[in-house]
Amino acid sequence: MLILLKGGRLIDPVNERNENGDLWIENDRIVAAPPGRLADEVHDVSGKIVMAGAIDIHSHIAGGNVNTARLLLPEKHQNHLPNPPSLPLSTAKWSTFETGTIYASMGFTTVIEPAIVPHQALQAHLELSDIPIIDKGTLTVLGNDDFLLSLLREGEGQAAVTDYVASAVAGSNGLGVKCINAGGAAAFKYNARTFGLDDVVPFYGLTSRQIVEALQRAVEDLKIPHPLHLHANNLGIPGNVATALATIEAARGERLHFAHLQFYSYGAEGGHGFSSAAAELAAAVNAAPNVTIDVGQVMFGQTVTVSADVLRQFNGAETARPKKSVIHDGDDNGGGIVPYLYRENDFVNAVQWACGLELFLAIDDPWRVFFTTDHPNGAPFTTYPEIFALIMSRDARAEAIARLPQDAVAMTTLPSIAREYNLNEIAIMTRAAPAKLLGLKDRGHLGEGGLADIAVYSPGKDLAKMFRIAHLVFKDGDLVVRDGRVSRYRWGKALKVNPGYDKVIDRRLAGYYDHHFGVSRDLFAVKENLLPRADAFAEVACAR
Amino acid sequence: MSEARIDGKPASLAAAAERAAEILSAARMPVIAGLGTDVAGARASILLAEKLRGAYDHMHSARIFADLDVMRQAGLMFTTPNETRLRADVLLFIGKDLTKIWPAMIARLSPAEIPAFDLAREPRKLLWVVPGRGGAKLEGLAIQTLDSSNLHMTLAALRARAAGRPVSCAKRVLRKLDEFVEVLNNARFGVAVWGGDSLDSLSIEMLHGLIRDLNKTTRFSGLPLGSDSNAAGVVQTSGWMTGFPVRTSFGRGFPEHDTWRFDATRMIESGEADAALWITAYGPEAPPWKKNIPLVALASPQTAFVREPQVRVEVGCPGIDHDGAEFSRETASIVGRLASHRSPAPSVAAIIGEIAKRIGEDASC
Ligand SMILES: [Zn+2]
Repeated sequence: MLILLKGGRLIDPVNERNENGDLWIENDRIVAAPPGRLADEVHDVSGKIVMAGAIDIHSHIAGGNVNTARLLLPEKHQNHLPNPPSLPLSTAKWSTFETGTIYASMGFTTVIEPAIVPHQALQAHLELSDIPIIDKGTLTVLGNDDFLLSLLREGEGQAAVTDYVASAVAGSNGLGVKCINAGGAAAFKYNARTFGLDDVVPFYGLTSRQIVEALQRAVEDLKIPHPLHLHANNLGIPGNVATALATIEAARGERLHFAHLQFYSYGAEGGHGFSSAAAELAAAVNAAPNVTIDVGQVMFGQTVTVSADVLRQFNGAETARPKKSVIHDGDDNGGGIVPYLYRENDFVNAVQWACGLELFLAIDDPWRVFFTTDHPNGAPFTTYPEIFALIMSRDARAEAIARLPQDAVAMTTLPSIAREYNLNEIAIMTRAAPAKLLGLKDRGHLGEGGLADIAVYSPGKDLAKMFRIAHLVFKDGDLVVRDGRVSRYRWGKALKVNPGYDKVIDRRLAGYYDHHFGVSRDLFAVKENLLPRADAFAEVACAR
Repeated sequence: MSEARIDGKPASLAAAAERAAEILSAARMPVIAGLGTDVAGARASILLAEKLRGAYDHMHSARIFADLDVMRQAGLMFTTPNETRLRADVLLFIGKDLTKIWPAMIARLSPAEIPAFDLAREPRKLLWVVPGRGGAKLEGLAIQTLDSSNLHMTLAALRARAAGRPVSCAKRVLRKLDEFVEVLNNARFGVAVWGGDSLDSLSIEMLHGLIRDLNKTTRFSGLPLGSDSNAAGVVQTSGWMTGFPVRTSFGRGFPEHDTWRFDATRMIESGEADAALWITAYGPEAPPWKKNIPLVALASPQTAFVREPQVRVEVGCPGIDHDGAEFSRETASIVGRLASHRSPAPSVAAIIGEIAKRIGEDASC
């Protein structure tokens, strides 16, 4: 099948294109204009914006903690809309089916679930299998796991740590490594109530810093494309900018992805003891080319915080709204589910909202700042269109700022920032840069040979509408969305890496599981035949 | 070879699937019940319920919602068997027959062993709150027991004493309560283990309150033993597919959840449901309702039905006849079970797939 998208404005930062032109698709790939051939299908997209499909690097869309959140809050996702017969469960709120449907309708074609502990990997991949249309991937959470901590305590050396990391990532079919409050969940089991970068995990005598450093090294040694994805210590605490700055420093110039930085951009100034330190933090990011960040923007409204940072979630449980929460001391990380209502008239929430936008706007390089709400922690991903509008329009921001408590606004630099993202920068931040960060060479651009994951938007005054209702979306060359409506399901892949390692570590792990847990490690393996469809995975090469 | 029967007479699988599709699609409100099946079977069942605009329920819903209702009302703190085994310096058992519910409990939690990750490396302290003295014996282990004819009241008294509040009761009982509270307050990582019918939602909510209170100064968590027949796995699958647990209906074209309205037995006895698909791949449980309605059964071979179902297919057991993913009480997570005695007996998912493709359009899920 040969498809022609005729006359759209092609925005492709990778190939430095920002011009009107034709785009040809054959089967699942973007191809050069084939001389002498007629397209089987022509879409006149003149006046439209044509970009690669968007890639979300950090969105909690699957896994035990997310599912617990669904079950905790039935009253928050009542349904009203029947689904078309061809799209079962697509209108069931917060279902996996709805997740894929809404992402696709906004032009997203790849989404990464960033927090899957190895013992939850099978459930996570079962859930991902029921997210239609888009490709998915998971990051494997390490850093509170007893086996790793015991390797480090015994001083077994980096090679053993690296082999273990490889085995854990391969066994859980992950695309990279995430570390969540390194050592914090383990320390919480010993009744620690706070845990900073240089605090020591009881029993193991290791600091968070040491754990992060070992994981960072392992990821680099394994040539996993995505750098260590770090959820740092002291999330959400006034004055935690100090932790963020120290964490950037602790990366020692090595690659590091700092997750949902907004939640670490707080000073302790002013009468409320809470202020934005986002400008200072953005300057530190600008000065550290080894560091990438995603924002974790807050938007006002009801949401639920879902995090494997069980220590932080335990401390946050008293702010739950509605007033109920789940705290799970799981194997390794565990997690906490705390419903939360971000209110526009709340001082702290207003500062948080501004902090995120300050980071978006004050970090200069769109290749190093990523577009996230840490869904659903800062806001559900369905708020993305409004966020695009806010970063692209100073007027839209001014309107929103006017509604906030002005003493909160005064604790931020937001009103003074004039920058407006242009579409090329949006394409970098949501397409080109994520593909590069994750090592996905086949997407994020419109060059020949690229995967035909394409989003076509209708530009207009209403920027949010433009991004909410994609005009056309192709996934692997299949037209799946027309004017924001998904026409049919197709099933994407879970992207994973398969790093090579010395299998001796697997024998040690087998013994460790038998002795410590009293169960076989094989129980937790993600066996492909347990998933609903064959060929569930696609491998991304480990090479840098 | 697997057996399929239509009205008690041997039939091919294809004919059985055809007849099942006729019965279920002719119903105004079909209900899928039992749901003793692996994740793949639950998934297929929920998609079929959506197609039929029917409802679905699990045979162990009463126990599922004893825990889940507390979570949805007040929240929960819980942990895993692994963490319990490796860390718990105090084990607080609540309820009777825990080792009947989970025969492997002692082997799995190793109460006799010093917890490997405990800093103090002291023998575990074992407490048991149970009706009657006989219920709390573990071979060769020293256990402090609290005889409770009313678990809710006992847990309320423990919670009050742990918070330093007075309770009015006999001196002897108070002394016993305070002995327990002393151990609970001094736990480093205590775990309350509960299960069975003797704990209702009110008792579990009180226990949860006690656990929350203890966490003000120390660490304590819970380990619910849950139910059999992959109840937790079916609830998890239902959760990601629809947002809701079982007792969910597609009557209006979208999932609606209500623990009373979509109780399968109630729907059938009241006449609201007019056909049923009964699924028990793990054991030979028969449907609990009395009313005679058209019945399709995907059941394990020994199931003894009061009335012969209109369609009956013998299915294999996940982890025995075929591979399957299910929620494991051993690990409190969904795990893969490879077939121990692989056989041609069909899986629930396979048979439902055969039924579903004979109904309406194929949506390629
Ligand atoms: Zn996150």
